[in-house]
Amino acid sequence: MAKPRIGIYGLTGCAGDQLAILNCEDELLDIVNAVDLRSFSMASSSNPEGEIDVAFVEGAVCQQRDLDELKEIRSRSKLLIAIGTCAVWGGVAAARNDIDREKLKEKVYGPSGSFLESLPVKPLGEHVKVDLAISGCPIEKEELINSVASLLRGDLPLLVSFPVCTSCKMHEYECLLVKRGQLCLGPITRAGCEARCPGLNRVCRGCRGPVDEPNAASEVALLKERGFDRRDIINALATFAAPAEKLAEQIVGKEPACQSAQDASQAEKE
Amino acid sequence: MSVELLKPELARIVRIKPMVEDHHLFQVRFEDAETVESFRHRPGQFVEMSVIGSGEMPISISSSPTRRGILEFCVRRVGRVTNALYRLPQNSLLGLRGPYGNGFPIEEMKGNNLLIVAGGLGMVPLRSLLWYALDNRRDFKEITLMYGCRSPAEMLFRYELETLTVRDDMSCLLTVDDKAGQEWDGNVGVATDLFAGVEFDAANTYAAICGPPIFYKYVIQKLLERGFSKGRILMSLERKMKCGIGKCGHCGIGGAKKLVCIDGPIFTYWDVVDMREVI
Amino acid sequence: MRIIKLKKEHLRDFVGSLSAFGKLYAPQARGEKSFVLKELKDLSNLRLDYRRTILPPKKFFNRPDETILNFSSDNGYQAAADANGGRRVLFGLHACDIKGLEILDWVMRDGYRDEKYFQRRERTAVIGVSCEPDESCFCLAMQADNVETGYDLFLSDVNSCYLVTVRTSLGDDMVNANQELFQEVGKDTIEAFKKKTHAHARKLDDMCDLSVSQMPELIELEYMSDIWKDYAKRCLSCGSCTMVCPTCTCYDIRDEVELDQQRGTRKKRWDSCFFPDYAAVAGGENFRAEAYSRFRYRYLHKQDGFVAKYGRSSCVGCGRCIEICPAKIDLRDVIKSIEGVT
Repeated sequence: MAKPRIGIYGLTGCAGDQLAILNCEDELLDIVNAVDLRSFSMASSSNPEGEIDVAFVEGAVCQQRDLDELKEIRSRSKLLIAIGTCAVWGGVAAARNDIDREKLKEKVYGPSGSFLESLPVKPLGEHVKVDLAISGCPIEKEELINSVASLLRGDLPLLVSFPVCTSCKMHEYECLLVKRGQLCLGPITRAGCEARCPGLNRVCRGCRGPVDEPNAASEVALLKERGFDRRDIINALATFAAPAEKLAEQIVGKEPACQSAQDASQAEKE
Repeated sequence: MSVELLKPELARIVRIKPMVEDHHLFQVRFEDAETVESFRHRPGQFVEMSVIGSGEMPISISSSPTRRGILEFCVRRVGRVTNALYRLPQNSLLGLRGPYGNGFPIEEMKGNNLLIVAGGLGMVPLRSLLWYALDNRRDFKEITLMYGCRSPAEMLFRYELETLTVRDDMSCLLTVDDKAGQEWDGNVGVATDLFAGVEFDAANTYAAICGPPIFYKYVIQKLLERGFSKGRILMSLERKMKCGIGKCGHCGIGGAKKLVCIDGPIFTYWDVVDMREVI
Repeated sequence: MRIIKLKKEHLRDFVGSLSAFGKLYAPQARGEKSFVLKELKDLSNLRLDYRRTILPPKKFFNRPDETILNFSSDNGYQAAADANGGRRVLFGLHACDIKGLEILDWVMRDGYRDEKYFQRRERTAVIGVSCEPDESCFCLAMQADNVETGYDLFLSDVNSCYLVTVRTSLGDDMVNANQELFQEVGKDTIEAFKKKTHAHARKLDDMCDLSVSQMPELIELEYMSDIWKDYAKRCLSCGSCTMVCPTCTCYDIRDEVELDQQRGTRKKRWDSCFFPDYAAVAGGENFRAEAYSRFRYRYLHKQDGFVAKYGRSSCVGCGRCIEICPAKIDLRDVIKSIEGVT
C-alpha cells in the first residue's frame, strides 16, 4: 500500500504543535518512515506540494493570508486535521474578538500596521471542513502518535472526550477547586492531558477547550458563589476557546471582560 | 488458563457476501479446531467481534446453531469498527468472544406456533431463530415469518427468504413500504399490514420481534389486539454492549435493573413493559 | 470470636510488622486537605485521623486505567501480565469502604465471575479502623456504619487503645506474629468500648435524618419530575462523583495500536454514566441523550435498580460524592427532594 502523503502546516500561532511533533523523538523516525512527508516547513527546507492525503494544520485564522492558505490546503487534502487549541478552538488569539480589528491594529502596530489584513480570530472549522480535531496547547505526544497510528490503518482516532476532573480523580490529585477554592476549569475542559496541571498544583486553565456538552453556566455560577470576580471568571473562560458556542454564551454580551477592554472602549470614546 | 474474561479468540473470515448496500454477510470460523467444536450458541445471542487494531463491537449471530462450524454475521457498515471490518479482505483474522446474552427461550417455545416479525435490520438476529425452527421443524407447530423493509433493495437475505415463500410447511410473508421503482412482485405496505390475512392461535404462539424503535410500538399493539399475552411477545433489544459480560454498565435499562448483555438481549414484553428507558 | 487489646503506643510497631504479609497501603495526606490510600513507606506518614480518601479502595481491584490485552495481527489477543496481583495489606479502611468492597464483590461475581478481580481481592488483606464521621457522612442511612465481615482485623478506637477484632485466619496470623504487642481485654476497656460505641451511634444518628426505604417507589413515581432537570442544570457532568464512588464500576474499552500497525494493546478505563456518549450506539442512536436523563440514571441505578437486583442500595454513605462535587450537589438533598421532605 502506498504511504499516505502528509503535510504539516502552520497558520498564525506559536508553532508549538509543530514543535510537539518534532519532540516525538523516539517515534519520529517511525512516523517519517510510515508516511510520505510532503511538507513540514519547520523541519525541512524542501517542501514539494501537491495533492496530499492528510493535512495537519496548526494555528488559527487571524488574517486574510491564513484564510487563503487554509482554503488552498483544504482544496488539495483528502483529510484535514486541526491540531492544537488555536486550530480547534481559536486559542489565545481569539480571546479578544470583541475589539474592532482596525482599532486593535492601530493600537498594537501604529501606522506601520496598515498593510495587515486582520480578521476576527477563528478556528479552522469556522472556515473549512475539519475532519478531525486534536486539541491541546500544545497537542499531547501520546494522542498524536495514537492518532497517526489509527489514521494509518484508516480509522478515525479515538480521542478523549471526558472532562479533566475525571482524569484528575483517576490520578487522585487533590481537587484545587473544592479543597483549595481555586478558579479551576477542570469540570468543563476536555481531558487527554492526564490532568497534568492539577497534578502540579496548578489549576486547569481550559487549554484543551471545552468538552462536548460543557455546562458553562453552572461553572460560572459555582465560581461566583465561591467569591470569584465575574471578570476573572470570564477571562479564564475566554483564554483558550472563546469562540466555542457554550463558552461564548457566557463571555459575550456581558460586562467588559477585562481591563484592556475598558481601555479599548475608552480609546473608542477618545 | 487466562483469567481475562475479555480475551477474544482468533477466527478467520471464510467468505464475505455483499447483500444490500452497506450490509455484508461475514462467514467466520474459529482458528482453533477445538473452539469450532465446543462453540455452542442459541438463536438470539451475540458475540463481541474485534477487528484487530481497530476495536471491538457487539454483533448478533445470524446463523442457526443447527448449522455448525461456520458462524454468520450480517453487519451494517455504520461506525468506526464496522468500517474497519469492511476494509478486511476474505481470509483475514478477527477476534471473537462469546456467545453472550440469553438468546431465545427455545425450550419453552417448542411445541408452540412461532410467529417471527422483523423490520429492516431486525431480520439479523431473527434469521438465526428462523433457521433453527426450520431445521427442527417437528418441534414447532405453524411457523410464520413477516418481514418488512423500506424497499426491495433494502431487504436482507431476500433470495434466501424468497425460496421460503414456496415452502408448504411455513408461511413467509414479505413486504416493502415502497417499491421505489425496483423489481418487486410481493406485498407493498408496512409489516403490520401483513397481519390482516392471518389467523392466530395466540394462546399457543410465541411472537419473536425485532426492528427499529417505531416498529416495536406498532407491532406490539397489533399483537396485543390479536390476544397475545405480554409474556409470549419476545423482543430483541439493542444497546451499547461494551463488555458483553454484565460488568461495564453501558447497556443498563430501567436503572440497570436489567443489563441487555446478560439479562437480554431477548426480553418478553412483560419483562420490560413497565421498565423505564426501554423503547 | 477473638477480641484483644492493642495499646496505641504499640500501633506503629504493629503496622510496621504488617509488611511481612504483603505490600502495605495506608491512609496518608495528599495536598493540603486530602488523603489517599498509598504505599506506607514511612510509618510517621500514617494518618488514622483521615475522614475519607480521594479514591475508595476499589482502585486496587478495578484499576482506573489498565492494559488488559496485548494483540498482534498474526497472534491475536494475549492477556497482559497482572501488575496488581501481588500480596497486599490495606490498613485503615473504614466500615463504609469495607461494605463498598463487599458490594463490588457481588457485582464482580454475578453472572460472569471476574477472576482477575477475585485474584486481586484474595491476595489482599483488609484491616479496618473505626472512624469519626464528618458532615458529609451518612453511612447509618445506608446501613454501612458497621461491618461484620469483609476484613481480617478491625481496630476500634477506645481512647488509649484499640480493641482488635480478629475475623480471619490471616488476621489471627498477623496478631500471633506480634503477640507481645497485644493484651487481654480488661473490664475497664469493655466499659469504655461500650460508651464509645454508644456515643458513636448517637452521633451518626443525630447527623443523619435520611431514609431511603421508599426510594425505589418514589423514584418510579417521580420519574418525570422536574427535580431531575433542576439538578441537571447545576450538574457539570464532570464525572467526579462516579470516579470517587466506592461502588461505581462502569468502564470503557479501547484499543491503542502501534505505529507499525502490527501490535497494540486493549485497555480498560473507568467510565461514567454522566458522559454524553455513555449510552450512544454506532449509527447515532443515544438512549440517554439529555443531561437530566443521565443525572437521573445515577439515582435510578443506585437507589432503585440495584435494590431490585441485590436487595439494597449500592450507596454506602461514604460522602465522597458530596464532598467532591464542584457544583455542591448533595446526594442527600436529591433524595430528600424526591421524598418531598426538604
